[in-house]
Amino acid sequence: MTRNAIVELTEVTKIYEGKVMYRALNRLDFEVEEGEFVAVMGPSGSGKTTLLNLVSTIDVPTYGRLMINGIEPEVLKQNELALFRRRNLGFVFQDINLLRMLTVEENLVLPLTLDGLPVKEMEKRVTELANQLNLKHILDRRPDELSGGQAQRTAIGRALIHKPKIILADEPTGNLDSKSAKDVLELLSQINRTERTTVIMVTHDPIAASYCDRVLFIKDGEFFNEIYKDERRQTFFQRILNVLSLLGGNVNDLSSVRLP
Amino acid sequence: MTFRQFAYRNVVRNRRIYAAFFMASVFSVMVFFLYSMLLYHPSIEDRFIQDIAFMGMGVAEIILYIFTVFFLFYSMRAFLQARSKEFGILLHLGMAKRQLNRLIFIETMFIGVASIAAGTFLGYMFSKFFFMIVREIVLLPALPLYFSWQPFALTIGAFMSLFVIISYVAPVFIRTGKVADLIQGDTGKQTGYDYSKSRGYLGLLFLGLSYAMAASTTNSIVIGLLFLLPPFATIGTYYFFTDSLPLLLHKIRGRKNLYWRDLWMLSISEGVVRLRENARMFFIVTIVSTVAFMSVGILASLTSFASQYREMHPLGLEYRSNWENGHEQKHIAQLEDELNTHEIDYTLVQFQILQQTSSFTDNTVEIVKLSNVNKLALSFGHPAVKLKEGEAIFLPPTVSWYKQLRDRSVTTLLKDSGVRVRINGAYPYHLFSAYSIGMNAVILNDVDYDKVLESESTRNLYSFMYYAFNVPEWERTRDIGLSIDASITESLLSETGDKLYYSFKNPGLNYSVLRTTFSLLLFIGLLLAAVLFLAAGSFIYFRLYTSLEQDRKQFDVLRRMGITDREFKKIVNRQLIPQFFFPWGVALVHSSFAFLSLQVIWDELAEISIVKELIFVLVGFTCMQILYFYLIRWRYLAHIKASE
Repeated sequence: MTRNAIVELTEVTKIYEGKVMYRALNRLDFEVEEGEFVAVMGPSGSGKTTLLNLVSTIDVPTYGRLMINGIEPEVLKQNELALFRRRNLGFVFQDINLLRMLTVEENLVLPLTLDGLPVKEMEKRVTELANQLNLKHILDRRPDELSGGQAQRTAIGRALIHKPKIILADEPTGNLDSKSAKDVLELLSQINRTERTTVIMVTHDPIAASYCDRVLFIKDGEFFNEIYKDERRQTFFQRILNVLSLLGGNVNDLSSVRLP
Repeated sequence: MTFRQFAYRNVVRNRRIYAAFFMASVFSVMVFFLYSMLLYHPSIEDRFIQDIAFMGMGVAEIILYIFTVFFLFYSMRAFLQARSKEFGILLHLGMAKRQLNRLIFIETMFIGVASIAAGTFLGYMFSKFFFMIVREIVLLPALPLYFSWQPFALTIGAFMSLFVIISYVAPVFIRTGKVADLIQGDTGKQTGYDYSKSRGYLGLLFLGLSYAMAASTTNSIVIGLLFLLPPFATIGTYYFFTDSLPLLLHKIRGRKNLYWRDLWMLSISEGVVRLRENARMFFIVTIVSTVAFMSVGILASLTSFASQYREMHPLGLEYRSNWENGHEQKHIAQLEDELNTHEIDYTLVQFQILQQTSSFTDNTVEIVKLSNVNKLALSFGHPAVKLKEGEAIFLPPTVSWYKQLRDRSVTTLLKDSGVRVRINGAYPYHLFSAYSIGMNAVILNDVDYDKVLESESTRNLYSFMYYAFNVPEWERTRDIGLSIDASITESLLSETGDKLYYSFKNPGLNYSVLRTTFSLLLFIGLLLAAVLFLAAGSFIYFRLYTSLEQDRKQFDVLRRMGITDREFKKIVNRQLIPQFFFPWGVALVHSSFAFLSLQVIWDELAEISIVKELIFVLVGFTCMQILYFYLIRWRYLAHIKASE
């Protein structure tokens, strides 16, 4: 392979120790290449969120090796790790998590203020993004005055503004209606194509997954299957559904299926 | 699990939430109990001390009680709002509203009973220690620990009734809207960001005016200002927190190169939200703190008045007798006898003070003999002053007069005796109490003094005897001359009109009364201030606690976004520091200006400055506040990070 892996997990195991010991990930091998749009699917409790947390570097694996952009987060100090996240990663959450006291514009610009960029540069980037994400007319609103789609677009803008290498999305369409969900997914894949930003998305929704280049299925913390997209999204979607039924997850996990 | 068990477990397992609330309640019960212990102490027999103690403690208890009412109401509401999600679930599960009320009632009573028990217990444990401090202050022989039902009954009765009322009223605080709203939680709603510009400016104007007036107080208008300023400043403070501050912060938000800088965006925007939620609380804390600063400052300055008392009264005992007085010899003999039986060293100097009319001013002048003054000065260890014939010096009536008289030189004729003297300069040492000899006293050389004395046969001059007792151990004279003192008081009270031909001053006795009173009041005030202080901090803590869920989520976002621990601490600092120190800062400024205007009255009362005491008190409070800030920040950070 000529393309290089930007995220690389080798035999990663994560065990939560507590009153009840719990093995969230078990010897998982997984690679994401630069510029790839990958979905991670699996039933509840399969370790999706743990995987995302590990890649987010806010958690460390118990065993195994994790490399992100050629760096092993485990060896970094707390501060370096924060700076690493700040420069390389962008996050999109299911419950959006905009800071409620900031306006849309301020939410967008927040990651940049942390790095102390000049105000002119920040304003330039906000304008660019607002045009791209169609946020121009709502820049002065507060999060509680936004629709779900607008809020999620703002959140994506916030994840993008510092031009990160990787965007990590945790159920980005989970709280959205189908129209907004479609917008958000198209936005993500457009960014993936034009900016060559790597996107890793955790999702339950096979439609969301069908926008990706590749879908990784995990079950009980272990690798289950992996499929690549083909010419048509429709057939890819069908194949995802097939794997999901094989996976035998909860019925609930499939209930959100909406045909386009 | 019975219903009661359920309530009990709710409280015990939520102990982290209830800890601050419980602590503050226990502390206020404890202080209340300590006050009551002293209130009912059987062995305080001194009527006067008892009156003061009784009044001081009584007032303190009333303030404490009223404050506790507010405190409990406020914190109860904060808790119940924080738990609204939990109540929503209970209602969802089918609990009747009546049962929910009972649940809250039982829970509150659990905490109430526990804090009353703990507070009373701790209070009883500490009462011996408390008595020791009081005894040290009051200079009583001993205050034994005693056991009586009264203090217990008072404390338990007062607080029990309080908790019962709170428990009944508390459920009102839960908004009885839809269950779904409750489950959504209190954090979902967002208060508006509105403020009134005009009120904002009005607040600034009011405060500015109050400060300007306080700073430019003069003697003539000070009384009027005393009534005008407090309401003015109070309204100003209220508008300041509700409108002026949001106005100012909004101005900052408009300036991107200021606002879009490192962490300021997060800190300021968070600050605006906190301010909106807490403006009224900040206002209350500010006013309470101002009152606390003021009372402690005033009391501390009164204490310093007592400590400067000695400087103002260098003599141990003073006895002054007009020539008509028939008791003179008897009284002096009695005083000497009493001093001897108490084995107190003393030096007695007898002065015959003559009065003459000066040709220079046409006023009466008191004339003191130089050798007498030197004799008294010697007992203090001051060197003798020498004067030639025809020379005299001023005897300054107070220390501050010395500066004015030092460089004055006057030639005058003492009209009644025809003696001409040149008065040059002032006597440098401070031997007599203020004004005890007279307003216009002059020390005359012995030769001329004798001339004046000889001319006394003409009889149109007037003189009196002045006995100065220099007692190095002046504080021990508390029991000397009590009967003379009593006879003076008696004749003053009887108002039979018969003129008293003698006067007697015992600074030691006066001092002990003054000192005791002020120290006791100061002690009571400090304890009270400590309770208020603890409660004010707890308010902030409760507020933080109610928004903890929201803050945790936010912290999670920021952490993923790549905020370092240090940066997060910085953000928390910038959020907490204003909350802690802003109300205090405003209170500090308020009380500084208040003291500025009070200083005018003070200067009139006694020649002392309260700057030193004030700084001491303010520094003390600030230190305590910083300590408290770190404590609460530590707890808050721990709570936030516990979510990981």
